[in-house]
Amino acid sequence: MKLKVWGARGSVPSPGPEMNRYGGNTSCVQVTFRDGSQLILDAGTGIRALGLELADAPRVGILLTHLHLDHIQGLMFFPPCFRSDAEITIWGPSSPEASLEDRIARYISAPLSPVEVRELPCSVAFRDAPATEWRIGDVLIRAEAVTHRGPTLGYRITDGDTTLCYIPDHEPALGAPLGQIEREWISGYDLASGADLLIHDCQYTDDEYPAHVGWGHSALEDTLTFADRVGAHRTLLFHHDPLHTDAMLDALVERARSSWAERGRAPDEIALAHEGDELEVVGAEPLAQAISDASPNAGTNAAAELSTRG
Amino acid sequence: MESPQKPLELILARNLLTSISTPSFLVDGEGTMVFYNEAAAAVLGRSFEEAGQMSVDQWTETFGPLSGDGDALEFDELSLTKAIRAGRPAHGSFRIRTAHDPEQAIEAAAFPIVASPEGSSGAMIMFWPHEAGDSGNPGREAEKAGDPGTPGREAEGTADPGTPGREAEEVPG
Repeated sequence: MKLKVWGARGSVPSPGPEMNRYGGNTSCVQVTFRDGSQLILDAGTGIRALGLELADAPRVGILLTHLHLDHIQGLMFFPPCFRSDAEITIWGPSSPEASLEDRIARYISAPLSPVEVRELPCSVAFRDAPATEWRIGDVLIRAEAVTHRGPTLGYRITDGDTTLCYIPDHEPALGAPLGQIEREWISGYDLASGADLLIHDCQYTDDEYPAHVGWGHSALEDTLTFADRVGAHRTLLFHHDPLHTDAMLDALVERARSSWAERGRAPDEIALAHEGDELEVVGAEPLAQAISDASPNAGTNAAAELSTRG
Repeated sequence: MESPQKPLELILARNLLTSISTPSFLVDGEGTMVFYNEAAAAVLGRSFEEAGQMSVDQWTETFGPLSGDGDALEFDELSLTKAIRAGRPAHGSFRIRTAHDPEQAIEAAAFPIVASPEGSSGAMIMFWPHEAGDSGNPGREAEKAGDPGTPGREAEGTADPGTPGREAEEVPG
């Protein structure tokens, strides 16, 4: 299973020279499976550039965790949406309030958008993520609600013996002592249990978190505690706060690795996602290693670090 | 064997109950008591960590509810149980056994936790013990007044959302 990170930022795009290495685009991860098929995780602004590379792809599948703007904003600028030969299927959380299509159409409609969903040249289908596991080709997918504001899913994606868990927006420590509470009471536990790679929310430092309790995101130590409890083999810290510069994120990952080591784990099992990271996830053994470095600052991104230290 | 993860709505409900000082407990869709908070533990005289999860039979045998005569009430026959299973809130008066009082009078309000069209995945039950000399409680006052009520009949009622403005019935036991 191969991944490419097209956007790792949370909340709002945050371009700028001080954000260059980690990137300013919001959540989007491309996953390529053994049989060559692909899925896209979330449609933040990172999906725009990804779409430019999918010029010939006849079918595109997108798994949305939820409909906050930083996870759907790129949809309206996703090139395959404007190709008549493209078939796009979008899965997302169900809601008793309105269909997935109607909720997304609130964004892709006037006055926020110059086009309406019904005007898109592509063929697009909207599907509620099933409550039970389902398959797309050979890939097994499981979606479950997780603690965040509004209906929000995490995904567990298994291809052969390799499992990826993607929970970019998650506050499992809300009202729960993560280190002590029984595992069955931890939001996202089953999704992430034993994952070869866990991509998880780490928006806040521990100092910032008290002012943001209930906002739906995790502090560093809570993320590490969650990763430790679920037995994730490797963890990619994701959904960086838009105020966090490259220098701040460098410091965050150093603190993360130090804390991880104090838990008796190998520091190289932790990395921060950089826009442009390309990772290969392998079951059981070194779970993520670089296959290339597509970021503008070669040698400094998470993939490279995982490779050289792993 | 590991227990499967609880549904998110139960996890969030537990988080809420952990954070409040109203005695409360949480049951899952099978009626198993899966959690009660520290305020409830103070009333019951036993911490949840000590008690652990309890099946319907276990917790009804341990704590009740009891009728006004001190007889055990049949859980499945309680109109409160029936209301919750129908996805409606309910309110009632009972007696329960605690470590401090074998017939502690309480009022209880139950709220079904519904997160899918398939029905409720459990319920939150908040309760309030009646202190000696408690006033402002019709059921208690009726007892004090010697209201014979309906001996042996469960002392609880339900709020029917189908009749707006109607108050929860209070039937002294």
